[in-house]
Amino acid sequence: MATLEIKNLHARVAEEDGEQILRGVDLEVKSGEIHALMGPNGSGKSTTSKIIAGHPAYEVTDGEILLHLEDDDFGDLEIPDDARTWNLLELEPNERAALGIFLGFQYPAEIEGVTMTNFLRTALNAKIDEREELLFGEDDEEEEEEAGYDTSPMEGNVDDGEVGVAEFQKLLKEKMDLLDMDEKFMQRYLNAGFSGGEKKQNEVLQAAILEPSIAVLDEIDSGLDIDRLQDVSKGINALRDEQGTGILQITHYQRILEYVEPDHVHIMLDGKVVKSGDASLASELEDKGYDWVREEVYEAA
Amino acid sequence: MSAQLPANLSAETVREISDARDEPEWLLETRLEALEALDELELPDVIQTPGRRWTNLEALDFESLVDPLNQADETTRESPEGVVVLPFTEALSEYGDLIEERFGSVVDPQSNYLTALSAALFTTGTFIYVPEGVDAEDVKIRAEMNSRSLFSHTLVVTEKSSSVTILEAVESGDSVDDARYFSNLVEIDAGENSYVQYGSLQNLDEETYTYSLKRADADTYSTVNWIEGNLGSRLTRSDVETELNGEASETKIVGAFFGHDDQHLDVNARVWHKAENTTADLVTRGVLDDEARSVYEGVQDVGRDAWSTNSYQRENTLMLSDQSEADASPKLIINNHDTEASHAASVGQVDAEDLFYMVSRSIPEEQARNMLVEGFFVPVLEEIAVDEFRDDLEELIAARLR
Repeated sequence: MATLEIKNLHARVAEEDGEQILRGVDLEVKSGEIHALMGPNGSGKSTTSKIIAGHPAYEVTDGEILLHLEDDDFGDLEIPDDARTWNLLELEPNERAALGIFLGFQYPAEIEGVTMTNFLRTALNAKIDEREELLFGEDDEEEEEEAGYDTSPMEGNVDDGEVGVAEFQKLLKEKMDLLDMDEKFMQRYLNAGFSGGEKKQNEVLQAAILEPSIAVLDEIDSGLDIDRLQDVSKGINALRDEQGTGILQITHYQRILEYVEPDHVHIMLDGKVVKSGDASLASELEDKGYDWVREEVYEAA
Repeated sequence: MSAQLPANLSAETVREISDARDEPEWLLETRLEALEALDELELPDVIQTPGRRWTNLEALDFESLVDPLNQADETTRESPEGVVVLPFTEALSEYGDLIEERFGSVVDPQSNYLTALSAALFTTGTFIYVPEGVDAEDVKIRAEMNSRSLFSHTLVVTEKSSSVTILEAVESGDSVDDARYFSNLVEIDAGENSYVQYGSLQNLDEETYTYSLKRADADTYSTVNWIEGNLGSRLTRSDVETELNGEASETKIVGAFFGHDDQHLDVNARVWHKAENTTADLVTRGVLDDEARSVYEGVQDVGRDAWSTNSYQRENTLMLSDQSEADASPKLIINNHDTEASHAASVGQVDAEDLFYMVSRSIPEEQARNMLVEGFFVPVLEEIAVDEFRDDLEELIAARLR
């Protein structure tokens, strides 16, 4: 079981006189749990998610983000004792991802010329390679010669990586079925021309393929119609139920929480988590609004 | 023009070249006239921005670059059935009349100083003839330049309702010390309702200065598609042009370039709409690394009689280094208002959010960047009809990235 532990996280925009956005965030998400992170616009929810993933636009000024791993987190792969706790802030974004952190984007990039299949298979193989390197310090020799001339922007490098093309196609098809996604997506360019809903489905699909320990989903529910919301919710529940992924779901709305029932609900205000509770907190918030939280918090203070 | 020419560049030299190739009188005359015109002709125009003349052709030292009597190349020509693909020396005996009629009809040898020099001195090149109704795929011409200077001339003639796809690849063979000069003129006379795709892949070594002018005359209902790939040379000046002279004729001018080190690329795409219902699509994608520079000019000229014109132009340059430089000038000249047209150009870096998205999925940054660059070229790759050309271009792009 993996645990993502955020302690007293302070961060600002990484530029001269950059605005301070996070002012001491504390959060803990374990594998298999679903957390909802709610809060008004500008409270720091999205920033928190980007900093977990390692976005270069923010600078952490205080606090830490730790990832604790346990024996069974990477299936049969044995995790050395000295590689069980990681300070994410010292790792590159791709290294964080390799250790099981996933960020579902609010606005996923549209990338022309790179097919879904190529992208996802490359990502999966890169994850496997990088993870081994991090855990066992193996400097994978194959990586250097990866240059290979058999690479193609359409299909990717055919012979490269742990997971071959055929095996990957099978895996992809399986996951797409689960999400009720059309197979035609496989040969399309990454998010290019996708509708808002399709992009969000694709984020969940990517999580299903990469099997993260902790998935941070930034407003995965925005811009979804009710059918798509149900598909996406089904996908998120499957991540938890079938892969044991811990979910940190950032949302403005109570709506998705009817389909993806959170074990814990947190409310952010002004760069801090100010209130936590169980699923009933979300309903209460829906009734009373953020002003209620604000009053309660600041009066108590 | 006052360029310093080699001492042995004379009528005598031109006669020697022509004699050695056993050419007919008219071709010798064409060469001699071109030679004579050199005094009067100017170098091709180059883009100027305030305080800067982007491509300094005047600096080319023809005296040392051009060695007219020592031209050498190794060229292989693959021709599918039904289409004639021959060096001029072999084609003249059987197709002499046709060649005499069409040679220089699309690219006037006296267009400028460099075309005239080329016409006077060319020793290699190809005559491609596609008879009426013939569909030919995958004509492949691979040339290796083995001398200090080399002048090439290619003439493509397609008859009514024929079609052909062509790949012309040029690279350097024997290494010669010092700088080299390669000149390549290509003219396409596209007959009624014919289709031509002419793909060109220039990957000469980085000691070579390359001048290339490719021009097509598109007859009624014909389509001429150019694919222009430039990866090699120290300096490349490339002009790809189509005159849409026939009603409902179409053209695509698709370009890809990838410069690195201190390569200089001056690439130009131009179309003249001269008849009704013509369509043009100009798409160029370029990548610059290290200290490479590019300058692009795209011209869509819609003539007064070109009713119901469709004309589109897009140019995108991606910079991989802070030291690289690019200038792009898309130009749209409209003399007939019954026109649907667009033109756009952009110069930028790899999108940071695209990169972060990929890296956040475990892909190491450099690999992610390479995938984005390869993806950037896909719109060009998708246009290529000759598989071998697409494979070669992909491979060269991949190799340059790593």
